[in-house]
Amino acid sequence: MNPGSKKKNIDTLLKIIMAVFVFTLPLWLTSPAYLQILIFLFLFAYLTTTWNLVGGFAGVLPLGHSAYVGIGAYTSTVLFITYGVSPWMGMWVGGLIAAIVGAIIGIPTLKLRGAYFALSTMAFGEGVRVLVENTMTVGPCVINGPRGISIPLIPGNNLAAYQFVSKVPYYYIILIMLIIALFITWYISRIRPGYYLAAGGEEPEAAQALGVNVAKYKVWAMALSCFLTALGGTFLAQLTLYIYPKQILGLDFSFELAFIALIGGRGTIAGPVIGALILRPVGEFARIYLSAVLPGLHLVIYGLVLIFVMLFQPRGLVEPLTRFYDWILNKISGTAPGKEVKS
Amino acid sequence: MEAIIQAIINGSMTGAYYGLAALGLTLIFGVIKVINFAHGSLLMVGMFAAYWIIHLTGWHPYAALFLVIPMLFVFGYALQGIVIKPVLEAQREVREPTEVIIVTTGVWYVLDNLALMLFGAEFRTVKTSITGQVFFLGDYFLPKPQVYGVVITVLTSGLLLWFLKYTRMGKSIRAASLDRDAASLMGINQYRVYNIAFGIGAAIAGIVGCVLIPFYYVFPSVGVIFDVKCFIIVVLGGLGSIPGALIGGVIIGLIESIFPMFMTSTWTELIVYVVFMAVLFIRPAGLFGEKRDW
Amino acid sequence: MALLDIKNVSKHFGGLKAVDQVDLTIEKGQIYGLIGPNGAGKSTLFNCVAGSFAPTSGKILYNGEDITGWKPWNICRNKIARTFQIVKPFQTKTVLYNTVVGSFIRTSNTSEAEDMAMEVLKKFHLADKCNVLAKNLTIADRKRLEVARAMATDPDMLLMDECMAGLRHTEVDETLNVIREIRDRGVTIFMIEHIMRAIMSISDRITVIQFGRKIMDGTPQEVANDERVIKAYLGESYGAA
Repeated sequence: MNPGSKKKNIDTLLKIIMAVFVFTLPLWLTSPAYLQILIFLFLFAYLTTTWNLVGGFAGVLPLGHSAYVGIGAYTSTVLFITYGVSPWMGMWVGGLIAAIVGAIIGIPTLKLRGAYFALSTMAFGEGVRVLVENTMTVGPCVINGPRGISIPLIPGNNLAAYQFVSKVPYYYIILIMLIIALFITWYISRIRPGYYLAAGGEEPEAAQALGVNVAKYKVWAMALSCFLTALGGTFLAQLTLYIYPKQILGLDFSFELAFIALIGGRGTIAGPVIGALILRPVGEFARIYLSAVLPGLHLVIYGLVLIFVMLFQPRGLVEPLTRFYDWILNKISGTAPGKEVKS
Repeated sequence: MEAIIQAIINGSMTGAYYGLAALGLTLIFGVIKVINFAHGSLLMVGMFAAYWIIHLTGWHPYAALFLVIPMLFVFGYALQGIVIKPVLEAQREVREPTEVIIVTTGVWYVLDNLALMLFGAEFRTVKTSITGQVFFLGDYFLPKPQVYGVVITVLTSGLLLWFLKYTRMGKSIRAASLDRDAASLMGINQYRVYNIAFGIGAAIAGIVGCVLIPFYYVFPSVGVIFDVKCFIIVVLGGLGSIPGALIGGVIIGLIESIFPMFMTSTWTELIVYVVFMAVLFIRPAGLFGEKRDW
Repeated sequence: MALLDIKNVSKHFGGLKAVDQVDLTIEKGQIYGLIGPNGAGKSTLFNCVAGSFAPTSGKILYNGEDITGWKPWNICRNKIARTFQIVKPFQTKTVLYNTVVGSFIRTSNTSEAEDMAMEVLKKFHLADKCNVLAKNLTIADRKRLEVARAMATDPDMLLMDECMAGLRHTEVDETLNVIREIRDRGVTIFMIEHIMRAIMSISDRITVIQFGRKIMDGTPQEVANDERVIKAYLGESYGAA
């Protein structure tokens, strides 16, 4: 067996092992606290992957995406509490509303230059937060302003109501959502809309001269991204059973999503996941163990990591990590370095 | 009726120091074409610097200016040189240097939370000789610190305009803002110019800090409030325009003081965002900016 | 029938008349040159045809159809491609990727588009560099990529904006050969160029523009000997000769 294909086999084997590991984790890791951390990790990986559709592939910098998380969460929650609609159904409604809102906001703003687009998304995100914080009711639906909404606890595991006692179902739900989001991202990058989107994001004039209606593709990417992001919002609501504007609609949340994707590597498929894998544990650790002594330390760390990554690896940590992984593969399979295998 | 006039007076004075705060940003944004999300943090640093100087020495806040200005200038210069310049250089070819936005966001997070770690979240105030004092103009009252603030704003803007128009460095800055490559071909060290522009922007933030101290709370996230507002003002007034920054500031100040008379103040916040978005869609160049291919 | 018919086109920017009532006709299969001193309005005219902006007045007809004010992507769909004076490759993408974006206008299937793109790259001698990132190419290669990418859309007419700027002598000759090959494959070419020996040797007809106005059109011979043209380029004192 030549070294090239041996390396490829090892690569496939490692990936299978990782997949099995991730899928069987809850069977032996039973602590709900740790499972919760992992669930949040996957949730952030999911949300940054959906963010990536606009922020990575379309080449713009959305800094107000938490608004769409909020739209998803509030829509499904309000529909559930006011009309008894199962969150599984409400989820789709939330997604649709988010997509429409995203498209409406996107049409005028995606034409703006990078910095101005970023500012407009921030303004929109903050606008939504202020709006929600000031609304107590909308018709028969209770919004409750800044104090947020508590979702009534339904005892036992209730699939229809999207509530479970143990963390395990949540783990699998978010894992599957993440895989689907990754698949969607991967698939789009290989078909014509993906090429057009990337081209339009990089050199809009050149893309237009090649037949690409850049604005149309950007708006579609925005709508898709907002739709998927809102689904994550419903998940978050059902996980924590309590949503309020500061948590779900803040500028901090929007920025965290952007940071993770940027540090991991925007525009790549693995980037957001890697970013989440690195930053979330660091942030959680700092927050849990150090915030009593040094409040805000985890955000200082986020900021410093961001600065360093932008200074030395602006395309994200995906690149050096991929090279490192490749080096490991070489070592294990005994391949001489330089024999790159395209996997 | 009287209430409205008082509101107009308050709004204009508030608007003046909003404009001053936005001044540094429009310079940086206009010259280096960098979105500096850390601008609010610079303001916060300026305020804390002023706070500690006054707290420790008991000086009059405007005397503290003599220390704060050079301190902040050096800080801004260093920040630009160490953190921002490498990113700018690497992104020279790129059409839209978003990495710079990201780096400055990192700086914002680091500065704000370092302040939180070092100084704690409590709101501080300093008692100065002018705190709480008021001028009377007929039936209307004008708090002294605010009036001095307006004076300082006008002085600073005038000084800045003079500097940009008549001094060599000022002209270099303007040249670099119009076309950085052409400027560097003319022998202008563009990065040194950027450093200085940034330093000036930071120094102005320091001035704002001193102006605000007599009547504003000092706390680590004070910058955030100003940050977003300053960007809105800069867009409204026109990127790189000094009179635009001041007028934009006054407009926002007036909106903030008049609208709450007719609706809750939090709805006013929303109005500001709506105005911002409207400007972006209708006339992204702002009131005084140049038209470009937005 | 004329392939491209520019009828009395003007483009004003505020008070500036960048293009002033220009008439121009290009026949199928021609290589048509557009020359003039810097700032004369050549690129502006190009941009009107290519759809970057609409003319202030006048009409542009392509194959008899009115395409005035059409958007750039629809112009491309209508078989008119263009290159840019300052090349705009998708820097972070490979040569192949760049070209595939062009060939996607002919098919929506990725592997078909890739095959078509490789065909084009072979003709432009860039096939061996298909996996090189565009930002790592030499300037000559980048210019070739610019043309190859445009050609991947299978146009009937190609607008070339100063594609030879900054090239060495031998590279200019190579590019002239490339342009002839493109024309031989049935593509009509409309080009702006400053390198006189290049555009004089290759064009069938030339229009000369100064201060936004057409001062003459004719064969390269006629243009080179025309007094008005000589004055425009070299100044009044040379005109008398």
